[in-house]
Amino acid sequence: MKQENYWKKLSLSLFLIGGVVIGCKEQSSGPLPILGPYKVQDNIVDGVLKTDTNFTTVRPFSFVDQDGNEVSHATLEGKIYVTDFFFTSCPTICPKMKQQMLRLYDDFEGNADVLFLSHSIDPKRDSVTRLHDYAEKLGISSARWHLMTGDRDSIYSMAKHYMIAAQEDKLAPGGYAHSGAFLLVDRNKQIRGIYDGTDAEDVDKLAHDINGLLNDEIHP
Amino acid sequence: MKSILSVSILSAALLMNGCDYKPRNQGKALFEKECQSCHMEKGQGLGKLFPPVANADYVVNNKTQLACLIRNGIEGQLTVNGQEYTGEMEGNLQLTEIEISNLVHYILVDLNNQKDAYQISEIKAQLELCKK
Repeated sequence: MKQENYWKKLSLSLFLIGGVVIGCKEQSSGPLPILGPYKVQDNIVDGVLKTDTNFTTVRPFSFVDQDGNEVSHATLEGKIYVTDFFFTSCPTICPKMKQQMLRLYDDFEGNADVLFLSHSIDPKRDSVTRLHDYAEKLGISSARWHLMTGDRDSIYSMAKHYMIAAQEDKLAPGGYAHSGAFLLVDRNKQIRGIYDGTDAEDVDKLAHDINGLLNDEIHP
Repeated sequence: MKSILSVSILSAALLMNGCDYKPRNQGKALFEKECQSCHMEKGQGLGKLFPPVANADYVVNNKTQLACLIRNGIEGQLTVNGQEYTGEMEGNLQLTEIEISNLVHYILVDLNNQKDAYQISEIKAQLELCKK
């Protein structure tokens, strides 16, 4: 009897482990989650209870890019975009992030539906002129990749809104500490993924997820 | 007696530096730590922002200056493989002479196919000339 229990337990555990393994595999090709806070609302429609989950969308903003053009929700109408936070004199992870974003920018060349938005967290030094110079050296156009500056507080609160860490830090190289994350935002202004912008493999996954959104395969 | 002494010195050196100690291993590790965030993982540089240090004519033509360049940094304009770069590279005052020597070795031999690198004594002499 005891022996039988043991086998039962063992097979149950194996089954569960198997389920987890298969679950993990499926996750990578399943629909992308919608990230960020959400509200659950109960509505009664025709006498039937319906529960709706409302996800927060990226809130409106207004920044200026390397060509002095305003970037706002109007710029992003119907677009998928990848966004990050950096500064031009950053001596640590930013060049790597820019190398990886440049790879995406090249990969999606010719696709006007995919935009890139990089916020400078050093608006004091990163003037439009300086961003213009940086963009030119990187070989990118503001038609698809906006290097943005703006009101300092708006930029930092935008980082918080995107759930990306960024702060002034006198001890950090270059004077600022920030995350190397890339965020993927869909056409509905919902955040669909957070990736490590310094890691080529994770950026490959981001490219894969962009294609998914473009093909509408992974809409929930 | 002499051989025992040298063997023990050698083993001690190996212990101190880990089992895979080779100049180019330390050079590579230092490159990854200090240089690759701007000059990229293969030393290929990034656009017109950061010049390449691999297969770079500037490196080969200025090899006697590399040690000083790494230690003191450089600012202004320079031309690498026909492309002009303007900017600033901070110095690395924290690096020891041996570390700079290994880094120069890695850059010259592994990234620029140079057959010979410098002896530590030569690097010391080069650094002496740009001491601040």
